This record gives sequence, C-alpha cells and structure tokens, in this order.
Amino acid sequence: MSTVRELTRRLAEAEATIRALVSGQVDAVVDAHSKTPVLLSKAQEALRLSEERYRNIVETASEGIWLIDASAKTSFVNGQLARMLGYTVDEMIGVQMTDVVCEADRPKAALALLRERAGAAICEDTTLLCKDGSELWVRVSATPIFDADGNYSGGLAMITDRTQFRIAEDALRRSEARYRQIVETTSDGIIASDEAARIVFVNRRFAEMLGYEAPEMVGSELRTFMHGTGAEESSARTRASRAEAKRSRDGMCLHRSGTQVAVEITECPVMDAKGQHVTVVRDVTESRKLQAQLMASDRMASMGTMAAGVAHEINNPLAALMGNLDCIAESLADLTSGDEHEHSAEQRKAWVLEELKSPLDDARSAAERVRFIVRDLKMLTRSPSEDSASKVDIEALMESSLRMASNEIRHRARLVKNYGRVPLVRANEARLGQVFMNLIVNAAQAMEEGNAQDNELSVRTTDNGTSVVIEVRDTGSGIAPENIHRVFDAFYTTKAVGIGTGLGLAICHRIVTDMAGELTVESTMGVGTSFRVSIPIAADDAPAVGATVPPPPASLRGQVLVVDDEDMVLRAMKRILSREHDVVVASSAKLALALCAQGESFDVILCDLMMPAMTGMELHHELTCIAPDQAKRMIFLTGGAFTDRAREFLLDANREHIEKPFDAANLRAVVQDRLRSMTGGTGPVHVV
Amino acid sequence: VTKKAASKRAVIRLRLYVAGNAPNSVHAIANARALCGEHPASGYALEIVDLMLHPLRAVSDGIVVTPTLVKLSPRPVLRIIGTLSDTDAVLAALGSK
Repeated sequence: MSTVRELTRRLAEAEATIRALVSGQVDAVVDAHSKTPVLLSKAQEALRLSEERYRNIVETASEGIWLIDASAKTSFVNGQLARMLGYTVDEMIGVQMTDVVCEADRPKAALALLRERAGAAICEDTTLLCKDGSELWVRVSATPIFDADGNYSGGLAMITDRTQFRIAEDALRRSEARYRQIVETTSDGIIASDEAARIVFVNRRFAEMLGYEAPEMVGSELRTFMHGTGAEESSARTRASRAEAKRSRDGMCLHRSGTQVAVEITECPVMDAKGQHVTVVRDVTESRKLQAQLMASDRMASMGTMAAGVAHEINNPLAALMGNLDCIAESLADLTSGDEHEHSAEQRKAWVLEELKSPLDDARSAAERVRFIVRDLKMLTRSPSEDSASKVDIEALMESSLRMASNEIRHRARLVKNYGRVPLVRANEARLGQVFMNLIVNAAQAMEEGNAQDNELSVRTTDNGTSVVIEVRDTGSGIAPENIHRVFDAFYTTKAVGIGTGLGLAICHRIVTDMAGELTVESTMGVGTSFRVSIPIAADDAPAVGATVPPPPASLRGQVLVVDDEDMVLRAMKRILSREHDVVVASSAKLALALCAQGESFDVILCDLMMPAMTGMELHHELTCIAPDQAKRMIFLTGGAFTDRAREFLLDANREHIEKPFDAANLRAVVQDRLRSMTGGTGPVHVV
Repeated sequence: VTKKAASKRAVIRLRLYVAGNAPNSVHAIANARALCGEHPASGYALEIVDLMLHPLRAVSDGIVVTPTLVKLSPRPVLRIIGTLSDTDAVLAALGSK
C-alpha cells in the first residue's frame, strides 16, 4: 500500500512540476547528467523577447507571410496576407496552398512546390485568388524548411503585391512594343551606338540596306559600315556638341558586297546618356535616280520652251539667206542675159560684181547666225554622260544663253550687259548653260510683255578674287518676303499651270551646289529681283587669254582625199580646197579604202567620222593595217552627234578633228597646218 | 488528542530550494516567509538552500527544479513546486488549516 501511496505522490509531484514549468514558475532545472542546476529564467526571457520581436516583424511586415506544412496546408499566415486576400487569419489556417492559387497558375504552383521540396528557393510571379473571387498579382519568394533529421517539414513564403508593378510593366511592355514596331517597320535605317561609336542596336531595315543580319552588326564600330569621308565625319560628329546634332548630311554606306549605298544621315545624341547616339540612315539611291530624271526632264522642258524661239531664230536668218541667194542668182542671170545693149559686157560685169558684194556678205552672216543657234542647241541636248568639268568661258556661255533666250527677252525688257574680265572657271558647260538659261528666262518672265523700254534685264560678271560672280537682275514685280525662302524648293512655282515645272530653280541650285558654288537671291517688291551665281576659281584657272592669230604662212600644195557620205558637203569641200590642192573625193569609206589599197597616196585625208556602212573610225582601223602611213594623215570631220565610242576615239591620242559647219578659211588653215607639219617628211608636197 | 497535542508541539520543518536571485526563487522566498510569519503558532522552521551555491545538495535531496519547497517533518515528506503564490493551496498541502 505504501508503494501505491508513494507512486501517487510522485505522480502528483511530477504533475506539479509540469504545471509549474508550464506556468513559468520554474527558475532552474537540475540537469540529471551534470548534476547541476541550470537557470531557466534568462533563456525564457530571451525566448519571450525574441518571440515578441519576430511577432512584431511578422505582423508589421508589408509583405504577406505564409507558412505551410509538409502537406502544403497553411499552418500560419500573417495579418497582411489575410488582408491582401480578404480572409481572416483563422480562415486561412489549414487551407491547401494550391487552392488559393488561380486555376491557370496551379500546375506551375505544383511544380514550384516540388522544386521547393527538393530544396530549391522559389521566386515566381503568380496570381492568387481572393476570397471574393478577384485575382491578385503577386510575387512569391519561398524557402523550404527541414527538420533536425533533414526531412521536409514545410515552407515559408513571402508574398508581395505586384498589381502596380504589373500594370506599369504591362504599360511599359506595350509602349516598348509600339516603339519597336515603329523602329522595325520604318523605311529608314536606325542605329543606336555607345560612346565609343560601337553599335548597340540596329533595326532590320538598316541590316537589309547593307545586306547583313541585325545581330551580326551589333558590337562593330559604326564607321566600319560607312564609306570614306562619311566615316571620319561620323566619328568627328560623335564628339560634336549637341547644338550641332540633328543636321542631315549626305554620305555613303558600305554594302556587304562592297558596293556603296547613297544615304542621307541624321545623327542625334541620346539626351540623358553621355556619348550615346541614335543615327538615322535613309537610302537615297532611288531618290537620287529620281532627281537625275527630274533634271533631265527639266532640260527637256526648257528645250520645249526654247523650240518655238529657236524656230523663230532660225527662220529669220534663213529668210535673209534665201532672199540674198535669190538676189545673187538674179544678178548673175542679168550678167549673162543680152537684153541690155546700152552697156558693154565689161560695164555690166563690174556693175553686177558690185551688186553681188553686199547680198553675199549678208547671206554669209545669216548663215553664220544659223550656225551659232545650232551650236547653242547642242549645248542643251548634251547627255549627262558628258557631265565632265572643263574650263568654261563665262562670257561666251552667257552670250550663247542670251541668244537662245532672246525671243523671251525682246518683248519684255532692254538687255544690259556688263561683263568684267573674269578667268575661266572649271565647270560643266552644259549644266552651267542650263542654269544661265533658267535665270534669264525667269528674269524675263518676271516682267510684263509690251513695255520693253521701261524694263531692264541686266547681266553682270565680276571676279571677287575667290569666285566668279554672275548676276542676273530684272526690274519685275519682285518676290514677296514670305515666299523668297521657297524659291529654291522643288515644285514651288508662281507661274500658271503648264508654264513652269517648278523645278527650274531647284535644279539650278543643285547644279551650282554640285560645282561647289552658291546660288543666292535678293528681291525687293516693286523694284525687282536679282539672282547671283558664284563659282569658285580653281587654283590653276588662269585669266582668259584671247586666241593668238599666227601670221599667215606661205601656202603649200598637197594631195587631199575628202571622204563624206553627204554629197553637198563633199562638193563644197572640193570647191574650197581645189584652189590650193589636188583634191580627190570619195562618197564612202569603202571607196576611200579601195583608192588607198590601189596604192594611191595622199598628204591629207579629210574623213567624216560618222558614216553608214563603214565609219571613219573603221576606215582608220583598216588603213592602219594596210597603209599605216595613210592612217596617220587622217583628219576627222564631225557633225556633233557623238556616240560614246566616237568621243573616246577622238580623245584617244588627241586626234585632230574639225567640227561642222566649218568656214572655208578655217578648213584651208587646218589642211595647211597639216601639210606644214609634214614638210621634211615623206610625200610630194609642193610650195605654191 | 494526543495527535493534536503532538502536532501542536511538533515543529513543521520546511526547506526551500532556490536558484540565486532568479525571479521565481525571489517570489518563493518571500511567499514562504510570509507563510511562516502569518502562522507562528504552527511553529514552522524554514531553511533556505541556494542551489547555485550548493549544487550538490540538490542531488542528495533529489531536487529536480527550483523553486521547490520540501516539508521534511512531520512525515510524510512533501514537495511543493513553484512560487508558492497560491497560499491556500500551499497551506492545504502542508496539512495545516
């Protein structure tokens, strides 16, 4: 019995001990092993404090805190998480974690849970379901919890509300997608480069333009894709100030194949990033082509405008020429007729000769006029392939332009010319002629028809030391100040529809700029307008020197062969040359070749360049084979209608040629020169 | 009667095991002293043992936790664990009314 009592007592004591422990009334426990009391109070206090601290953190955290057990059931949530989801803390305890995840994200959540069980820390965006069924975008950062034996015992997750982030992110993504679409669909190439001018981005268009794939270009220096001066400018521009930015310039890019792509380049720095640039590159190959076409079509338009004037111009001297020829024919008829017996034959002859003198001079000068007009026309019809610069006599060019436009000027204004002594300039004659023509016609058309005495069109050339300045001034109505900056714009015109193309001045501007010159305008309403072309003088451009006339030397007589398919020309040449030389004519290159093949030898062979069947060039080639000595004696005649091959042929070895129409004196002089240059050489040359 | 007389004569010997100045021990000492002072007739004899100073006494006396009050006599030996705040319960356990 006492044993039972003893046991009961001990049990009571044990229970009392436990109660005391539970109620916190125990200070120390005697450790059975070390037989010493161990103080409990400090540990208890520390535990209490730290627990309080943690509770504070957990409950004041702005993140939701979520503890799950090994079976993914909620074992703890803080007030914040419960509030976020619209539950109370108690309602959430025991809830299966995946039940709170929105349905679409559940497989993802299950996977994440598996990974977490395996020990991975999880950080994922997902959507949770609130109590009221609404969705909440959150970011979950979770870590697994393992017990002392290393078994998975649950997980701790921090939940951050991402609603605001998500909205901002969505907006950002949409805006980025929008800009990306703009950048990728634009017809311009767009490049972003860093402070070392290395490419960080190119759009698809730029890659296409140069035959690359966009990723291949990233990382390279931008200038590796630029050609020549463009490359230097580009790197220079990288260092340029922001004030200079946003100016477009022309340049060349290098295609992968090595060809050049004409482009217009606009560079601007990225404002908040030092040294970074955005470069916009526009392929202008097509627009350059179009521009060239427009220039050609403008030339055609000017030709159209001129055609009527030219016909008029030619008809006048032609009428004079024919009239005078008729007079001459009548006078000659008088000479041979025997009607008038009162005068002796000698008297009649002297009289008729006197009568012939002035109509012959007039016919000669009328023909000369036609010759000038045709030469001027040639200037306009030259093809762009002749666009090479040469030394141009400004005064002569202006004179010929004025002649061409004289029909426009005559009825509108007095023409005042003021030529200074100016050097030759290096320019393209045809193009510059087109500019002069345009300016003159514009000036003329600015003045009303009918008051020619009240209006004045003046041209003036001056040399200011560095440039030749050509001024064309009218006393027309003037250009309003608000319009003056538009006069060089393409398609801007104040003329009636069908009269102007609106391209004239735009093209003039382009032409002059291409020559490194300047085209400027000044205008006062009611007073008039003045256009000024200035063309720089090249260093080697010597002042104009008049042609020196050599003293007439003694005449030589030679054997001359004339080859031309045009019978009239052939006869005229024979007449001119027969006085001084023995002349043989051939109406085709084949006949000429046959003569030479038979062993005939000539001192000079005058040969038309362009003939059907066999050209002068072919004849030259054949002669070089069978009679090289004869080939060297050829002088070519040209009518101006050149093929590229013919031009090359003449330029090659600087072959001598005479342009049609020629005058008798000139033709004789050329033949004489040739004969003189051969004296001392072989061949039967006789002094007359 | 004899029993009562005997009990009247007999001194109740109490021994309180404490751990230094730990809060519960301080409480227990205060409570034990109040108990003895309020009931002088009972003839309590209170001995206080600080186990922090005399750890070996815990082992010899079979003490597991502090504070522990042991009624050594009269028999049976009795242990009361805690701060002795509940005076009634303590008195009841000690067998004095």
